[in-house]
Amino acid sequence: MAELQGLGAALSEAEKAGVAIVAVSPDLNERSQELATRLRLDYRFVADPDLALTRRYGLVHARGGQHGEDVPTPTTVVLDRDGVVRWLWVSNNFQVRPDPEAVLHAVRAL
Amino acid sequence: MRAGWLVALSLVVSAAAIAVYSQLLRVPAVRNNPEGYVAAFAIAAVIAGLAVALGRRWYAWTALAVSLVLLLGGATFNFVLARIPAAHTTLRVGERAPDFTLSDAAGRPVTLAGYRGRQPVVLVFYRGYW
Repeated sequence: MAELQGLGAALSEAEKAGVAIVAVSPDLNERSQELATRLRLDYRFVADPDLALTRRYGLVHARGGQHGEDVPTPTTVVLDRDGVVRWLWVSNNFQVRPDPEAVLHAVRAL
Repeated sequence: MRAGWLVALSLVVSAAAIAVYSQLLRVPAVRNNPEGYVAAFAIAAVIAGLAVALGRRWYAWTALAVSLVLLLGGATFNFVLARIPAAHTTLRVGERAPDFTLSDAAGRPVTLAGYRGRQPVVLVFYRGYW
């Protein structure tokens, strides 16, 4: 699932460690959700169609979309069991993805 | 003849940078270091510049022009077009992420607070396309 920003392998490791994966985008991603379910991965692909959550979290990239629409800034957050943010990566270049090793390290440090 | 070798080297470096970048999606090391191709174009331009200094042949000037165009284009792409403005996120390391409930494609609601006390969560925001 390319949408998960190249984190695929790291997320599988995280999932084995009992971590839940929640992926948020403006569109319903049925294909990815079906694939995840079929692969028995505890990934949940949820939709934020009006960007309400994205806005609340301050992650909107105004007019950043292909057609000039507002889109989310690619972001990866690691939350511990208390829901506290323990690691945060917010993109500033759409070519770059977060380092899967760094995500795994953050998950293992929980 | 040295100018000729330098011109060839310059063009090889530029072509290699483009070929490597085309692997962007598949190779994390390339994807995560896009400034690498900008550096490669700069190196190609320097090599072509040396060729011009040595020989002033038309092909040396051409190679210099090509590498400068690639350098300008690559730098503009990486440092201007690909930039995402700094998001003023309300998320802070050490603070709890605000709760939310959103539905997945199957219509099942997902509530962040539901994971509290049970599981850590990796939360990923993405654009919906690469």
